[in-house]
Amino acid sequence: MASRIYKWLDSRLNLKPVERTLLDEPIPGGASWIYVFGSVTLFLFLLQAITGMFLALYYAPTPDHAYDSIRFIETEVLFGAFVRGLHHWGASAMVVAIGLHMLQAFLYGAYKPPREAMWMAGVVLFLLVMVFAFTGYLLPWDQTAYWATQIGINMVGTVPVVGDFMMRVMRGGETLGALTLSRFFAIHVLFLPSLLVALIGLHLFILRRVGPAGPWTDARAKLGSETFYPRQVYMDAVVIFGVFVVVAAAALAVPFPLTDKADPSDTTFVPVPEWYFLFYYELLKYVHGPLEPLATWILPALVIGIMLFWPFIDRNPARNPIRRPVALGSGVVFLVVVLSLLGLSIKNLYAVPRADPSVARGKVLYGEFGCAGCHRIHGAGGAMAPDLSFVGDTRPDREWHVKHFKDPQSVSAGSFMPKFPLDDRQLDDLASYMLSLKKAP
Amino acid sequence: MSSDGNPIPDGEAGFSTPVGSRRTFMGWVTSGLASLIGLGLAIPLLGYMISPALKRRVRPWVDVGNIGDIPPGEPKQLDYVTTIQDGYVENRSHKAIWAVKHPDGQIKVFSPMCTHLGCGYRWEAEEKAFKCPCHGSVFDIDGHVLAGPAPRPLDLLPSKIENGRLLLVFKEFKSGTSQVVEL
Repeated sequence: MASRIYKWLDSRLNLKPVERTLLDEPIPGGASWIYVFGSVTLFLFLLQAITGMFLALYYAPTPDHAYDSIRFIETEVLFGAFVRGLHHWGASAMVVAIGLHMLQAFLYGAYKPPREAMWMAGVVLFLLVMVFAFTGYLLPWDQTAYWATQIGINMVGTVPVVGDFMMRVMRGGETLGALTLSRFFAIHVLFLPSLLVALIGLHLFILRRVGPAGPWTDARAKLGSETFYPRQVYMDAVVIFGVFVVVAAAALAVPFPLTDKADPSDTTFVPVPEWYFLFYYELLKYVHGPLEPLATWILPALVIGIMLFWPFIDRNPARNPIRRPVALGSGVVFLVVVLSLLGLSIKNLYAVPRADPSVARGKVLYGEFGCAGCHRIHGAGGAMAPDLSFVGDTRPDREWHVKHFKDPQSVSAGSFMPKFPLDDRQLDDLASYMLSLKKAP
Repeated sequence: MSSDGNPIPDGEAGFSTPVGSRRTFMGWVTSGLASLIGLGLAIPLLGYMISPALKRRVRPWVDVGNIGDIPPGEPKQLDYVTTIQDGYVENRSHKAIWAVKHPDGQIKVFSPMCTHLGCGYRWEAEEKAFKCPCHGSVFDIDGHVLAGPAPRPLDLLPSKIENGRLLLVFKEFKSGTSQVVEL
C-alpha cells in the first residue's frame, strides 16, 4: 500500500533523486557507532518540540496561573506527569548528547578546514540550547524556578557599564515578575525554536556541502565510502531508541516535583540550578570580592569566544589526535576542570542536610489548620497569639509542643488556643515544624 | 548500489552499501524502532490531549443556610457563593435558588432558571405562584406548570439536611425541552 502510494507520488513528483540525495550521502570510511550523536541530538530536539507543544496546551504564562497550570498538568491530566517528565529529562539528555557530539567532533578534528563554519554553527546551536534551558527553568514559577532565575539574572548585572541595562531588559523591568515570565515564555516557545530550526538547517546544509569528516587517518578513509542508508541510519535508530527508552523510564520513575509556588518575599529559599549549570554554580563559590566579575562574565565570555573561534585558534592541519598534543591537552584540561567542579558541587549538595520531610508536612498542617489566623511567622499571619518566628529557639522541647497541641491549657494556663483534632503523626510533624523555626539552621 | 537498488553511476569507485538480506534487516529494524517510538509517544500524547475534555465537573454539596430561616409554605430565595473549578482556575460564583418548606418539614429546592428559556422567575405572594417575567410562564408552589410556554415543571436540585443546615448540589439544565437534561 505504502509503496504504491510512493510510486504514484514518484511518477508525478520525481522523488527518486530526492531520496538518493537524502539516503545515499557518502560516509567516508563507512558507518560507525561514533557518528550517532548528531542524529541523537536532532531526535531529542524533536522530542522537546513535540512535548513542549503539548505542555503549551495547558500552560499559562502568568504569575497568577503558571504554577497552578503546571500542577494541573501534573495531577489532573492523563499522562501529564509523564509528558512533563519527558520534557524535563529530554532537556538533560539533549545537553549530554550535545556534549558527546562536540567531544566527537573535537577528537576527530572535524572542525578543521573546510568545516570551520559547521563547527561555529554548532557552537551557536549549543549556546541556544543553554538559553532554552535557562528560559524554560523559570516557567513552572515555583520557588526553585524563581530563585534560580533571580541568581542567573543578577550575574548578568555584574557586567560593567551595560550590566544594569541588560538585567532590566531580561526582566522586562525592575523586578522579576509578570513581564519576565511572559518574555521568558515567548523566547522559549517562539523566538528560540525558530532560530534553532534555522541554525539546524544551516548546520545540516554545510554538512551536505562539505560532507562528513570521516576517520582521522587517511589510510582508513581510503577504504572507501558507505552510503548513509541503511547501516548508519540503522545505527542511529538503535541508539535513538535506547535514548528514548532511558528518557521515558526517567520520566516515569523519577518524578520532578514542583516546589512551593514562587514567593518573592521568602529569601530563605536556597535554589539549586540544573545539573548542567552546577559546575558554574560551584565556580562562583571560589571567586569572591573584586575577582567576582572574573567568574560571572569574563571567564564565560572567554570560554565561549575560544569555543566559537577554535577552528582559527588551532591551526595545526593534522586531524589525528596523536599529532595534536596541544589541542588535545587543552581539551582534556577543560573537561577535567568542568567535571571536577561538577563532581565537587554534587558532593557539596549531598553534604547539605536535607530538609526533614516531617518539617514539610508540619508546615502543610500549619496552613491547613489555619494557625496563621492567630500566629505570625516572619511577618505573615495574625498577631493575637505568640509570634512563632523563632519558637524553635525559645521552646526547644518537643514534648512540650506535643502536650501543648493536645491540650493547650495543660501547659499554658489561660491560653485561648483551641484543641485541634491531630493524630500522633500529625502532632509529631507539627512539633518538628515548630522546632525548625530557628534563627540559625 | 544505491538505496533503490540501481547501480551507482561510474566514477564513484569505493562507494559501498549493504545489499540483500542485510539491507532488508537494517531497513526493518529502523522502521520497527521508529514505529515503537512513535507509538510510545502517540498514545500518551493523545490521552494527554483528550482526558480533560472528557472529565465531568465534580459538583460538591454546598451549604446554603439554616433551615430555620425558611418559613413553612412560603418559598424563600437563598443566595450563596460557590467555587467553580475551571481547569486550574478557581472562580467564585454567585448563585441563588428557591427553597420551599412544606408543612411536614420536607424541603424542595428549585433551580432558579425558568424551564422555558432560562430566565430568572419570582414568587408572587398574593397569587401564590412563581411567575416568569420573560414570557409569562406560571408555576405553582410545587413547581408544576399552571400557564405559559414552559415545557416542564421547575427543575429540582438534589438537597439534604444535615445538622439543621440545608445542603445542595447546584446543577444547570437545558431549557426549552420537555425532558430534564443536565448540562
